[in-house]
Amino acid sequence: MYIASYLSSLMQMSRLVKKSPSVCTDLLLNSSDVCNKLRLMKELLKSSYGPTARLKQVHNNIGGAVVTTSTSSVLLQAISSSHPIISLIKGSILNHVSRFSDCGLFASVFCLSLIEEAGRCDLSKNVIIRVNKHILSLCTAHLQQEDCGCKVQLDFCSSQSLITLARSVISSKPTCVLSEPESTHISRLAVQAFLLTVPCNIPDKVRLGRTVIIPIEGHSVQKSAVFPGLLLDTPENISLGNLCSPLRMVLFSASLAGDLGELGDGRIEVHQGVDTDSQILGQLLELGKQVLKDEVKLFVCQKVIHPVLQHYLRCNAIIVIERLGISLMEPLIQLTGAQPVATLHTTIPREAYGEVHNVSVRQFGSKTKLHLHPAGKTTTCTTILCHRNETMLNELKLVCQKAEHVLRLTLREPCALLGGGCTETHLAAYVRHQSKNNVSESSPVLGCSQTEYLVAAEAFCRSLESVATSLEHDDGASLIDLTHAHHWTLPSDVTEEHLEDATALCGCGVVQSCQNKKWSYLNTEYAEFSPAPLLTASPLQPTVLDSFTAKVNALEVAVETANLVLDVRYVIQDVN
Amino acid sequence: MLEGVVINSRQHVGLQKLSALSGRIRSSVGPFKSYKFIQDESSGDSVLVCSCFRIIENLEPNCAVGQLVYETVRGHHKQYRTGSGCLLFLAGAWSRAAMDSLQRGISVKHLITAMSEGIDICLDVCKKFSLSFKDLAVIEKCTAAPGGTKKASTDASVEEMANFHDKCLSKSGQRKVKLSRHFCEAKSEMLSTVRDPDQPDMMVIAESLSHGCEKAMKLAVEAAQMLLKTNQQRIRDPLFDISKMLTCLVSGLPEDCACVVEGCILLLSDEQAAVAHVVKQQPLKVALITGDLSPTYRHLGFKSLPGEQCVRENLDLSASSKEDEWVDKVVKLLLNLEVKLILTAGLVSQKVIQHCGRHQILVMEKVNSSVLKTIGSSTGAIPVHYATQLTESCVGDGVNVEIWRDLSSYERKSLTAVNISTGRNSGLVTVVVTSCVHGKLQALEDQFWACAYRLHQALKDGALLPGAGGAEVLCVHQLQKQAEHDRAKDSKTGSAANLYRGLVLQLMADGLIDYITAVMVNTGSFTAANARTIVRKQLTEFHRDEISTGKFLQLVSQSKREDAGFSAVKPDEAPALNIYDNLSVKQEAWRKALDLVFLVLQTDAEIITGTGQNNEGNLMLL
Repeated sequence: MYIASYLSSLMQMSRLVKKSPSVCTDLLLNSSDVCNKLRLMKELLKSSYGPTARLKQVHNNIGGAVVTTSTSSVLLQAISSSHPIISLIKGSILNHVSRFSDCGLFASVFCLSLIEEAGRCDLSKNVIIRVNKHILSLCTAHLQQEDCGCKVQLDFCSSQSLITLARSVISSKPTCVLSEPESTHISRLAVQAFLLTVPCNIPDKVRLGRTVIIPIEGHSVQKSAVFPGLLLDTPENISLGNLCSPLRMVLFSASLAGDLGELGDGRIEVHQGVDTDSQILGQLLELGKQVLKDEVKLFVCQKVIHPVLQHYLRCNAIIVIERLGISLMEPLIQLTGAQPVATLHTTIPREAYGEVHNVSVRQFGSKTKLHLHPAGKTTTCTTILCHRNETMLNELKLVCQKAEHVLRLTLREPCALLGGGCTETHLAAYVRHQSKNNVSESSPVLGCSQTEYLVAAEAFCRSLESVATSLEHDDGASLIDLTHAHHWTLPSDVTEEHLEDATALCGCGVVQSCQNKKWSYLNTEYAEFSPAPLLTASPLQPTVLDSFTAKVNALEVAVETANLVLDVRYVIQDVN
Repeated sequence: MLEGVVINSRQHVGLQKLSALSGRIRSSVGPFKSYKFIQDESSGDSVLVCSCFRIIENLEPNCAVGQLVYETVRGHHKQYRTGSGCLLFLAGAWSRAAMDSLQRGISVKHLITAMSEGIDICLDVCKKFSLSFKDLAVIEKCTAAPGGTKKASTDASVEEMANFHDKCLSKSGQRKVKLSRHFCEAKSEMLSTVRDPDQPDMMVIAESLSHGCEKAMKLAVEAAQMLLKTNQQRIRDPLFDISKMLTCLVSGLPEDCACVVEGCILLLSDEQAAVAHVVKQQPLKVALITGDLSPTYRHLGFKSLPGEQCVRENLDLSASSKEDEWVDKVVKLLLNLEVKLILTAGLVSQKVIQHCGRHQILVMEKVNSSVLKTIGSSTGAIPVHYATQLTESCVGDGVNVEIWRDLSSYERKSLTAVNISTGRNSGLVTVVVTSCVHGKLQALEDQFWACAYRLHQALKDGALLPGAGGAEVLCVHQLQKQAEHDRAKDSKTGSAANLYRGLVLQLMADGLIDYITAVMVNTGSFTAANARTIVRKQLTEFHRDEISTGKFLQLVSQSKREDAGFSAVKPDEAPALNIYDNLSVKQEAWRKALDLVFLVLQTDAEIITGTGQNNEGNLMLL
C-alpha cells in the first residue's frame, strides 16, 4: 500500500527532484521478516541474561574499540535496526534502564516473549492486550501485598541482605571475571560506599551523597577500596607543605587556559602592538593575586589552567588541580560547599570559597591521587576499583554503578524479590491459579470468552516462565517445584536424582530439595496450584535477591511495550 | 544507519582465533628467540622484531579477539616489560584445552569452574615453591661450601665483567677521567659491597634471571649497582629506582660497545655539538621547559582565535615579524639569566636553535620527563612551560656538559653524544645500547628493559620461582595429581559428577607441557617429540618420588636436574647455574592468559555496528 505524499512535492515546487512516496506497511507482526528480526533480538538478549550468560563483542566495522559485555544498556545502544518496531522496544527498555539501572534484560526478554507468545495463540490482538493489562495489575497488586511469597523485607539492622542484593547484581555479569572472594569483596565495598552516602543526621530534606568511581587497571581486585571524601588526579611531584586545617579552596568552572574560547567563531580586530594573550594572562595573574590574598590553599579548575598561572600559584604554596572534568564538579561542590566561579573577569566573592579539612597524597600503582578529607560529616565517597584488564574493569565499573543504584532504591521500598528465576515461576503459578479461579468474573469484564481469557493468561505465564528458563545457557533443564513454585535447574549431565539430593537448592537458595518434592519441567503443562508460603521459624536467607522497585517497573514496562507493539497496525516510512 | 550483526558458530571461532594468534609467537617464547620481519604489504615497510610483544604490536590485530589480546598484552608489557610471550602462549594453549573440553561435551559453566580451580592450583604451587631471598642465601652457602665452586664462579663473573668493560666504550682513550673512575674501581667495589647475609648476591640473582640475554642483564646489573651507589641507598634495601634508568640508542657501533654511564647521555646534531664544545666542562645554569620551544606553541587546551585580525594605523615596513620578536625576547631573557643549557620535553624550532647557538646556549629537545624531574630536583631548577616564564628562581645551577663521545666517524652525518650530569649525585644512569644494524636497536633496547625489570621485580618480590620450566613442571605435576585424584574418586563413587574436572585439569596441564616443549624446541637442540619425552620422563620421576611440599630443597635439586636438561644446550656454560623466574610476573601472566580464555570462551556473538559492506557468510541483519 502506498500513500502519495503530495505535501512535500507541493512545498518544493522549484526543485525538480521527484520524491518517492512513503511506504506504508500493514499488519507487520504477520510478516516473516519482522518476526525473524524480533526473534534474533530475543536470542541476542536472552543469551546475555544471568550470571552464566554468553558475552557479546560490540564494535564498529571500521576497527573501533571492542567492548565485551552482557549489560543491557551497552547491548541495546549497539543494536540499531532499520525497523521502527525494534527501535520502539529498544527505546522503551533503555528508558527503563536509565531510570532504574537494573532489570533491563529481564524487561526485554519478557517483552519479546509476550509478543512472540501473542503471535502463537490464535486470538485477536485486542483481547490479548486487555488480558495482559488485567494480569499485570493482578501481578503488581500481588507483589505489593505484605504476605507476597516471593518478596523479602530488607533488614537494615544487618548489612547481610544488602550485601546479598549487591552481590546478586555484581555476580550477574560474567565479563567481570570475578572469583568468589573477589565478588564478595566488591559487594562489601558497594554496600560500604552506599552507607557512606546516606547522611547521618537527617535535616528536613534527606539528600543522598555521591559515590565517585575511579577505575585503575593492572592491579588485583582485592586492592579495590572505598574512601570517604574525594580523590583527585594530581601531578606526580606534588609537595604538600605544612598546611593548617581547614583549607580554603576555590573552584573554577570557566577555562583558565588564557584563551578567548568563549568568543566562539566571532571576528575580532586587534590593534598593532596589542597582545591579547598577555592581556588575558595579566587578568589571570590578577586572579591569582586575589586568591593568594584571600589565603586560598587549594585551587581547582574544571578545565585547563594556564601554565604561567599554575606556576605562580605553586610558587606560592597553593595546591593546583586542573582538568577536573564535569563529572567531578557536583561531588566536589557537595564536599566543599564551594560555588563554582564561571568567569575570570570579576573578583571572587567570599561566599564562593569552599573548605576541606585536610589533604593527603595517596599512591595507587603509578597513579598519584590527592585525597580531600571533608570538613564536616560528608556523604561523598570515592571507590577505587582495580582489575587486571581494561575490558573486565569497564564492566566492573558499570556493575558497581548499577549496584549503587539498586541499593539506593531500597530506601524507597525496603524490600527485595527472590532472584534466580524464583519470582518469575512464583508469579506464573500465582497467575495461573488466580485466572482459573476468577475466570467467570473476569472474562465478561474484559469482553472475551472464558477460553480466550484462559489462553491469553496462559501465554502471559509462559512468557514469564521463559524468562526464568533464559537463565540457563548450558543445555540444562528448568523446573518448577509444585509446592512453593520456585525455580530449579537441572544440569544437562545430571540425572533427575540429583534434585532429590538433599544438598540441592532452588534458584534463589531459599528452598532445599527433599525426597517427597514434586517437579515439573517449565515448558510442560502442570496442574495449577496455589504456591504455598514458606513456613520457617527464622527469616528467609536467600542467596540471590533482585531489586524490588526495578523489577516491578520492568514488569510494567515490558507488558506496556508489548501491548503497544501488538497495537501497531500500520508503519508509514518516508523512504526519501 | 546501523545494522546489528550476529556471528554464531558451533566450533567456537573466538577460541580458534585466539589459538591462531598465539601460534604466531610459538617460535619466540623462551630465551632463544629468532628475529622476524614483519612487512606491510601496502606500504612495503618492514620492521625487524624479536620479542612476543613487538610481534603482536606490529601485527596490529584488527579482529575483536585480536584487539582484546593486544589490549591485555599491552597492559602487561607496560607494567612488567617481560612475560608477554608466556601470557600469549598460554592463552593459546588453554584456549585449545577449552576447545577440546567443549568438543567432549563439557558445558561452559563447568569448564569455567574447573579451569578456575586449575589456575588456583597453579598459583598456589607458585606461592608454595617460590624461594624467598633467605632461602636463596642458604642455597648459595650450601653450594658454595663443598669445593668452593661458588667462589670460583663469582671470581669468574667479576673477571668477565672486567673483560666486558675492556670491550666497552668506557675504556677507549677518549673518555674523561671523571667517568672512568667508576669503571676503574668497579672490580674492587663490586667485591667489597657489604651485603646483608640474608640477601643473596644481586649478581647471582641477575645471572639466574638473564634468560639468554647475558649481555643485556650485565648492563642492567651494572646500571642498578651504579644507581644504588650514587643514590647512597641503604645496603639492606637493594631495590633501585627504575625510573632513573635511561637508554640511549646508538647505531653504527658494534654491540660490544654497549655500556653504562652515570648521568644522562643525549645525542646532538653538529650545530648543537659546536655549542657543546664551547660550554663543556664548566658548571652551567640550566632551564627546564616542559612545552615546545617555538613562538607558535601554545599549551594543551588553549584554543587560538581563528578570526583575529591585526589592524595597523600606519604602514611600517621595517617592523620585524612577530616570530623574530619572540625569539629575540627569549634569547635576551636567557642571556640575562645567564642560562647556558636548556632542556625541553617538547620540540625546538630551528630558528631558536640557531639563535641560541649564536649566543653559546645549548638547547636540547625531546628530553625524557624523568630527566627533567631529576635534574630539576638536584639543581633546584623548576620546570616551566614557556621560555618567557623563566625567572631567576626557575633556573638551576651546577650542571655539567661533557662531550662523551664523538660518533661522527662511524656515520656519514655527524653525531655527538654529550653527558649531562650534576655534580651532586643527580642519580641518573644511562645505558648506551649500540648496534651496527639500526633495525636491531629496538630489540636490544627491549632486551635490556626486560632484564632491568626482571631484576627490579625480583628485588621487589623478594622471592624467585624455579625457572627453566621448573615452575611449570611442578604445576603440571600438581594438576595431574589432582586430576588423578578426581578420577579415582569418580570410579569409587560411581558418579560422573567430577569426571569433567579431572579432564579439564589434565588438559590444562597439557597446555603447560606444550609451553615447556615449545621453549625447549626453540633452543634448537630438541625436536618436539624429543622434548616431550624428556618432560614426560621428568614427570614420571616426579610422580614416583611423591615430593612432599615441605622438602623444598630436594625440589630445588630436582628442578636443577631439569635445568641440566636445558643447559645441556650450551655446554660452555657452567651447569651449576640455577635459572629462576619472576614470581609475580609469571603469576600475573598466567592469570591474564586465563582471563582472555574466559572472556573469549563465554562470547557467542559479535555485534558489529555501522554502515559498510560486510560479506561474511554467517552474518545476520537486524
